[in-house]
Amino acid sequence: MSNIDLNLSIGGPQGGGIDTSSNLISRAFASSGYNVLGVREFHSNIKGRHSYVHLRIREERPRSLKYPLDFLVALDPDTIFEHLDDVSTGTIVLYDTNDENAELAQARMIMRDTAKRINGVLQENKLDLNVKGALALMKKNGAKIMGIPFSKVLEGVELDGPATRYYNVLGASLTLSIIGLDQKFTRDSLKHIFGNKEKVIALNVKVVDAAYKYCRDNGLQGKTLPDMDAPPRMLLTGNDGAALGKIMGGLRFQTYYPITPASDESSILEEHEDIKWLSNENKKLASGGITVVQTEDELSAITMAEGAAITGARSATATSGPGFSLMAEAISFAGIDEIPVVITFYQRGGPSTGLPTRNGQGDLMFAMNTGHGEFPKMVISSGDVEECIYDSMKALNYAQRYQLPVIHLIDKNLANTSDFVPVIETKKIKVEQSLKTKDKSDFKRYTLDTKNGVSPMGVFGKDIFWMTGDEHDELGHVTEDPLIRDRMMEKRFTKLKVADDEIPDEDKAQVFGSDHAKVTFITWGSQKGVILDAIDGLKAKGIEANMLYLKMFEPFPSKFVDKILKKAGTVIDVESNMTGQAAKVIRMNTGFEVTNFILKYNGRHITEDELISATSDIVSKKKKIVVLENGA
Amino acid sequence: MAHNFRSDVAIDWCPGCGDFGIVTGLTQALTELNYGPNDVVAVSGIGCSGKTPHYLNMAGIHTLHGRSIPYATGVKLANPRLKVIVTSGDGDMLSIGAGHFVAEGRRNTGLTIILYDNEVYGLTKGQAAPTMALGEKTKGLARPNVFGKVNPITMALSSGYSFVARGFSFDTKHLKELIKKAMIHEGSSFIDVLQPCPTYNNINTMEWYRGKVYKMDDEKSWDPVVLPDTSAESVSEKFNNAYKRGLEWDDKIPIGVFYDNRAIPSFVKRIAEYLPDYLNNPPAEQIVAGTDGYTNVDPFKTFADRVI
Repeated sequence: MSNIDLNLSIGGPQGGGIDTSSNLISRAFASSGYNVLGVREFHSNIKGRHSYVHLRIREERPRSLKYPLDFLVALDPDTIFEHLDDVSTGTIVLYDTNDENAELAQARMIMRDTAKRINGVLQENKLDLNVKGALALMKKNGAKIMGIPFSKVLEGVELDGPATRYYNVLGASLTLSIIGLDQKFTRDSLKHIFGNKEKVIALNVKVVDAAYKYCRDNGLQGKTLPDMDAPPRMLLTGNDGAALGKIMGGLRFQTYYPITPASDESSILEEHEDIKWLSNENKKLASGGITVVQTEDELSAITMAEGAAITGARSATATSGPGFSLMAEAISFAGIDEIPVVITFYQRGGPSTGLPTRNGQGDLMFAMNTGHGEFPKMVISSGDVEECIYDSMKALNYAQRYQLPVIHLIDKNLANTSDFVPVIETKKIKVEQSLKTKDKSDFKRYTLDTKNGVSPMGVFGKDIFWMTGDEHDELGHVTEDPLIRDRMMEKRFTKLKVADDEIPDEDKAQVFGSDHAKVTFITWGSQKGVILDAIDGLKAKGIEANMLYLKMFEPFPSKFVDKILKKAGTVIDVESNMTGQAAKVIRMNTGFEVTNFILKYNGRHITEDELISATSDIVSKKKKIVVLENGA
Repeated sequence: MAHNFRSDVAIDWCPGCGDFGIVTGLTQALTELNYGPNDVVAVSGIGCSGKTPHYLNMAGIHTLHGRSIPYATGVKLANPRLKVIVTSGDGDMLSIGAGHFVAEGRRNTGLTIILYDNEVYGLTKGQAAPTMALGEKTKGLARPNVFGKVNPITMALSSGYSFVARGFSFDTKHLKELIKKAMIHEGSSFIDVLQPCPTYNNINTMEWYRGKVYKMDDEKSWDPVVLPDTSAESVSEKFNNAYKRGLEWDDKIPIGVFYDNRAIPSFVKRIAEYLPDYLNNPPAEQIVAGTDGYTNVDPFKTFADRVI
């Protein structure tokens, strides 16, 4: 069995079908039994600007991405320029020879600052300011340049429309052929991608065949990789995972106002609003499906979700930073009125509109402190696609169990990561319902007669009760009575204490790796995978490391975290923000001060290689803060 | 026995406030329509009008400033069996909540929206509301109003409300009839209620209105109703008539039904077209777990397109 570990980027203009290229490669490898992890990077632009997908292919499930690339596939000249730094010894650079003479100055879609930087590098090396020059630099750095005349490959192939329309499939097919994946898998993959569009499939099969033929004829075809047995798997992004988890978790009402990278989740829910039941018994249930509403703004999204929640529907909304800002007031309302609602918060680079399509983890403290006044809320975070599924179910459960707003953090990197999930366990998490009323004759929605702070839920249409953003009495009517105010505040906060006691440690924080580690990484969100890989990589270099992975920030597992950090060696906080927010939360809750940081805030994902090298800088060179700068 | 829709909470509106007439008209309408206590939900925003749900003996939410409409929409969509009433002031609905007001016209969810229109912000001591005319100087204002006014009637018509009416809070009997019509209307209904503020608006007083309001319904030729078989030409004529009447605001101010289009499907119905079981099994009433307490959803079947 060959042991492959391939890092591959395929880039081209936004709107040029990069998703299809990526899907073709991922699904072809999946059909052959391999695992693929992918991250999509793109500008805030509809058509033209540089976009790419970074994929890692292994037999074992990959958890992170790595530079330098093994393969760079350029569907346009911009890709060659943008990824100059991502190639090294052994990287195969596949490009269209028709692009060779494209001038850097003519590449209008490259950001001005980026073009200026590349210009400088090429001039420094006394190279032509065009694709040829860039390729020469890559070659100098050890890359193997592989030019293919794309138009010639498709010569004589009868297609519908211009041949350039098929370059995304062509580039992916050439790559698969060169790597040595059997042609049948590439062909099969088209069926997955294009579903029942027979005509489209037939046309693209011709492109695949032409690519494989070209490689055969020119001695470029790789030695056929062995295929392996693999269980049925689902190819899911973080957005998909959250949507699926919400459906399984009983969500029946979702609102949203379009915003990147959150609205994909709602579109996925809309596509899958027709729920398929598990057993025959359940088939008899009428399905109303999931009601998804695109609202006029985020103020409406959160308040509409709350209205539905009070009426008895399990409901949620999804947004990212700018939208979440607008939701703050209504989250405060959910706090005082104890409304079970989930806000899936997809973080991206801020402040303000910031880097609207790029990664960021700058909203942790904002999520924790959102809303005016003091009220209990829960803040949880996911770090991989599987966690997105189960955490979405848990978020809905926590909301119901404790009757409060639950904020579920997912970062853009994870939202746009595609991963293969082999098993989805339907019996892992029960779907919990809210505590319901027993005696309806004298219903007090906010009864103080409760030990755990949770009063029985009322539902519009079944119970008469009132709600108000003002402080209220047990019935829900406005009050400013000082004693009732005190009791209501205490009742609400009791829930958070109870949640802290009831929820097991592993749902709040986990330790991965050796008990006797020299280095302890602290992180949350999508760095989970890359740190796990870095721990393996560091072990090979003789550095024993482990990871304290944080999943719940409110309530915060202070005792557990304190215990781990007190016995830790060198503690390094790894986050995709500038100020080390998780480290601040730790200090706030435990008093433990973290002094070593590996931070990235340029909006790009962290790769294994840069994390290992940064760790070495801290461990050997005693650097305190290392800022990671990779990215195209 | 009919349900008593007035709660036992003491009303703290000023003596002589127009709001009293609205609560009276509303509770009488609900009683005459023979609704039960669990058939109706009242939703309000912030301000004097915002207190209304507490005065009603039925489920209610006194929500955030400007957000009564989306809260109400969430309630209605989660359980379309419920009749949902929105009681909101001119500032609440046409200033901070104006975006929702327009969006609700497009949605036509099926809410009954009652605008408490007194041209001032009462609870914050008399600032000018969006319905106050340019240059008007009430006693609550330090200098004449520097803003122009929006017209709730034409704004509602332009936004797509399928039922648009105006009432006068000191003609409770007439208002009650309007509310009844609004509540049995399938789409969203909007009633602009002229509701004098005796404390801060010394210009648009009860007497001022009494001399001006007239009932369109008294005119034999006035027919604002559009039915599914009404011709496109006739629909356009009725809409234009409603709009023209909506612009009247001088010596005479029309009250009554401006427009009643029964041919536009409600948002609830539009959703049911995509989700055939939506009305039988709305989000609030769906069973979300199997008898064993675990999910009743098959992830591989539901997400079949993601399976490799």
